[in-house]
Amino acid sequence: MADNLTLILFLPMLGGLILTLLPSSKPVLVKFWANLVLGCNALWTLTLLGRFDATHDLQFIQRLPWIPSLGAEFFLGVDGYSMLLFAMTSAVGFLASLASWNAIDTRLKEFYVSLLILQSCVAGVFLAVDALLFFVFFEASLIPMFFLIAIWGGEQRRMAAMKFIVYTVAGSMLLLVGLLLLYFEHWRQTGFFSFSLPALWATKPEGDLGLWIFWLMFAGLAVKVPMAPFHTWLPDAHTEAPTVGSVYLASIMLKMGTYGFLRLVLPGVPETVKQANVLWWMSVLALIAIVYGALVCLKQKDWKRLIAYSSVSHMGFCMLGMFSLNPAGISGSMLQQVNHGISTGLLFILVGLMYERRHTREISEYGGLFGPMPAFSFVFLIAAVSSMGLPPLNGFVGELRILTGAFEMSVPWALWAGLGVVLTVAYLLWCYQRVTLGETSAKNLGLADLSGREWAVVLPFLIAAIGIGVYPQPAFDMLERPVKQIMEKVRPNYYAQSN
Amino acid sequence: MDAALFYTFAAITLAGALATVTRRNPVHCALGLIFSLLGVAGLFLLQAAELLFAVQILLYVGGVMVLFLFVIMLIHLEQAARLRQYSRQWPVALAALFAVFLEIYVLAQSGLPGLPPSPQPRLNAGGNTERIADSLFYVYALPFEAASLLLLIAIVGAVWLARKKEQPQ
Amino acid sequence: MQFNNLFSILPAAVLALFGCVLLLLRFDSSRPYLIFLAFAELLAAIGLWRQTDFLGFTGFRGAILIDPFGIAFNAICLVAGLICAVGAYRYMEREDEDHPEFYGLILLAQSGMYLMNSGTELITVFIGLEITAVSFYSLTGFLRSNPRSSEAALKYLLLGAFSSGLLLYGFSILYGLSGSTHYLNIASMLATRNSRDPLILMAILPIVLGLLFKIAAAPLHMWAPDAYEGAPTPVTAYLATASKAAGFALLLRLILGPLHDLRPAWEGLITFAAIASLTVGNLAAITQSSTKRLLAYSSIGHVGYILLGLVAGNKTGIEAMLLYLLVYTLMTTGAFLLLSALDREGVTDFRGLLYRHPGVALLMILLLLSLAGLPPTAGFVAKYMIFLSLVQARQYWVAVIAALYVAVSLYYYFRIIREMLHNPDDSPATLTISTGWRAAVGLTAILSLGLGLNPEPVLAWARSALR
Repeated sequence: MADNLTLILFLPMLGGLILTLLPSSKPVLVKFWANLVLGCNALWTLTLLGRFDATHDLQFIQRLPWIPSLGAEFFLGVDGYSMLLFAMTSAVGFLASLASWNAIDTRLKEFYVSLLILQSCVAGVFLAVDALLFFVFFEASLIPMFFLIAIWGGEQRRMAAMKFIVYTVAGSMLLLVGLLLLYFEHWRQTGFFSFSLPALWATKPEGDLGLWIFWLMFAGLAVKVPMAPFHTWLPDAHTEAPTVGSVYLASIMLKMGTYGFLRLVLPGVPETVKQANVLWWMSVLALIAIVYGALVCLKQKDWKRLIAYSSVSHMGFCMLGMFSLNPAGISGSMLQQVNHGISTGLLFILVGLMYERRHTREISEYGGLFGPMPAFSFVFLIAAVSSMGLPPLNGFVGELRILTGAFEMSVPWALWAGLGVVLTVAYLLWCYQRVTLGETSAKNLGLADLSGREWAVVLPFLIAAIGIGVYPQPAFDMLERPVKQIMEKVRPNYYAQSN
Repeated sequence: MDAALFYTFAAITLAGALATVTRRNPVHCALGLIFSLLGVAGLFLLQAAELLFAVQILLYVGGVMVLFLFVIMLIHLEQAARLRQYSRQWPVALAALFAVFLEIYVLAQSGLPGLPPSPQPRLNAGGNTERIADSLFYVYALPFEAASLLLLIAIVGAVWLARKKEQPQ
Repeated sequence: MQFNNLFSILPAAVLALFGCVLLLLRFDSSRPYLIFLAFAELLAAIGLWRQTDFLGFTGFRGAILIDPFGIAFNAICLVAGLICAVGAYRYMEREDEDHPEFYGLILLAQSGMYLMNSGTELITVFIGLEITAVSFYSLTGFLRSNPRSSEAALKYLLLGAFSSGLLLYGFSILYGLSGSTHYLNIASMLATRNSRDPLILMAILPIVLGLLFKIAAAPLHMWAPDAYEGAPTPVTAYLATASKAAGFALLLRLILGPLHDLRPAWEGLITFAAIASLTVGNLAAITQSSTKRLLAYSSIGHVGYILLGLVAGNKTGIEAMLLYLLVYTLMTTGAFLLLSALDREGVTDFRGLLYRHPGVALLMILLLLSLAGLPPTAGFVAKYMIFLSLVQARQYWVAVIAALYVAVSLYYYFRIIREMLHNPDDSPATLTISTGWRAAVGLTAILSLGLGLNPEPVLAWARSALR
């Protein structure tokens, strides 16, 4: 019962269904119930994390028939990588919801129902071991996200929501076609129809078919990550979304893209991924994302937009690490995905807290917040340092690993990535300076510092950031087996060579 | 001899059809249609389909066309006669027609390969009526009965659409 | 022998009989008509169900064949007719045109569809097609005081007559080539021919074009937006689903039967029609301000997807077509019926629906998500099967194009959803709902979601229908 992934997966959705029966006239009850459900979900997930055994591969497996005609099963399970992402998802989801306690005042019940459904869908993405199940959750999560942006978002919310969903679906449908190509190749080789990831990984398509599969899957996942130049939906979606929407988008949904790469592309078409020109394209696009994202951040006037573009830059780091095709790069990429979820989630929550007080996202409206809000400034400092990738916080560990991996692959690429690090420090410090340091303007003088609830929200983030930064070994232990699994497919001789 | 008769009847059919489409006066159109149908009747006769020849003249010309003429004469159609006869796109239509004609000509020149030899009209085969009855009531019984349903639906639809809406009491 | 004949057309005979009787009835309210119609549909359904024990039987010297394919398509048409009629009566009352002729014509149209679905002989299917078409001409023009309705009926009639003539011309050449009008005989006679024979082309081209008109596929789709917009909305629902399904049944029977080995003759035209329908349907829908026209163009897009199953040409493709037609019928009847409850039909008239009538808005959102093809709806399963068949046939580029058009269609479907999310302001459109409407729309929306979560039953059904 405690290990029942199906229950954990559907717990938020069940909570949402019960929520529809509660009266809208009692907003406190609604908020309390929703946060209770999400909180239980997060706690349960953390206990799973505690019981996770890093010496085994897939755990807590559940396998039920779903669509026998198509070979799709209701196959759930976690390995080190997905366990970390799932834990981050549940925790960040709950904390984001808690942070929004006072943020929403219209259609409260619908808001929380959408949030709960969204939580289940994104959980499903990471728990699914059947590729069709993965895809269904991948796509289905777009629907509640669309509503969250379009109903409770900012000024331009409807346009942003449309752009978000049309762009993403265009890519996802191509991902589906690519997946089907892989699925059919598997059938041609074995005579069986199956969508389970281990079965699809055994296929190893070659040549032209491999290229087709790669580029189709790339199209879908690159929009999600997002990789430049397919990132144009992101700034609008992130800035126009309500706080909780931005947090979900940045911390969780972007990871679905990189997760897809590491689960479908690298192990699915390893022969194609190894090809020199494919690697070149992936690395160049990743570097463009890193440097361009950082440069654009430097000229942003909107606080949320700045953080949004920083996500583009950070995800570029993850992609670079991933495609360096060595254990350092891949494990660094995996850890950095979790780290980015923590740091950027915290950053968006902090912006949300300020927005609740001042109702503006313009950086120029703020300044000298250190005076009236020292606690907030301290937390913001931690968040910024974590995002910059400086020791002793979590961002440093991940980025160091990635840079090591990139260095191993190609020194020039690593140097370009290093430039990205420098630019990241630049824009984050500059943002921090403009917001917290300097003269406190009259508008900002009377602002209240972090309340008890707000402390409760940011504290777990701080603990995680500092904890992973100071003692990352348990995380790396969990990632060791998944990384090895991927390396064995992509570069079977790697471990032999290095011995 | 057969060929001459065929071309004569075909010419009558086509001329009648042209007249129906081009004349302004509705009565002239109806007369053109009658001539066209008579031409088709002649073609039936050439194929030794005597029953169809007779039925064509009796039913189509004698029944349907007479009804057409009655209706035309009952309704005053002078305005229709003064209206513009052709759609503005008649050059396009002519071009399309020419294209179809060209296609048929090319096909005819290529000798229509593989066409099964057309069955020669069997004179004195006797039992024309019986053969048609056999087709209508035995082989094609279902479509025949269904056609009556089709006519019923057409009548119902026509009457319904033409009736004025009842005013609410 | 006698029993065979009667039994093979029993459902059609029942429908026709009840339809004619309905024409004679006169009641004050329309509820008795509906009960009568439902009873007729029930009897027809029982007849269809009994037929499953007599598969392979033929009637009327090979004119009708009882097989799972025909039963499946007849079931789709029956469901469509029932849903449309049940959801229609409040609409017709509002338009002050609730007469027995309406319900009678619905039943009569369905008897024609039976002949199209189960007929295996050229003249029978043609008469069936004409019965359906003429019934629809009258149904389209049913709102006698509305000039749009009459105009729609006129356009439909003129273009329909022309395409029927084209179809008949093709049939006559086919008869000339093979000496018989029965599919089996035609198939054996044509088996000896070369598929590049110009005469074959001359026969097949008009037939395919005539049928493309019937299913409203580009490039013969021009009648559809006008006809769909002008017709009473429940009639549009019926026309867009059942008539299309019957047209597809006819097309599939021909293509899987006599024309099967002549693939090079028709595949170019069908591929062109599929891609053109996708393009025209999706691109034109983007700019529409009338929801009815938007849904009409989106129907053309859906026809493009269904035709892609033929382009793939494998068994999965045909199964996908059947599945898509069932799912499409459910979604489209639901959407059009929901639209019929509003008294105005612009896209902007959905404004604020989520706040004023949340239940109705939720149903519409479900239906629109299914039409767009997003998981976990049934619409996604249908599109998935089409992609599956294309990939299996190694038609990768076509699959990519079809996938991209899903995103395009999302734009206009979500435009409607966006309007629903607007804050309610001045003069909103009012809703007229009846219990029947609630049942009909509720059923279609729930099935659109349910069949998406658990598609195994319909997948198995599609496979068994094409054994």
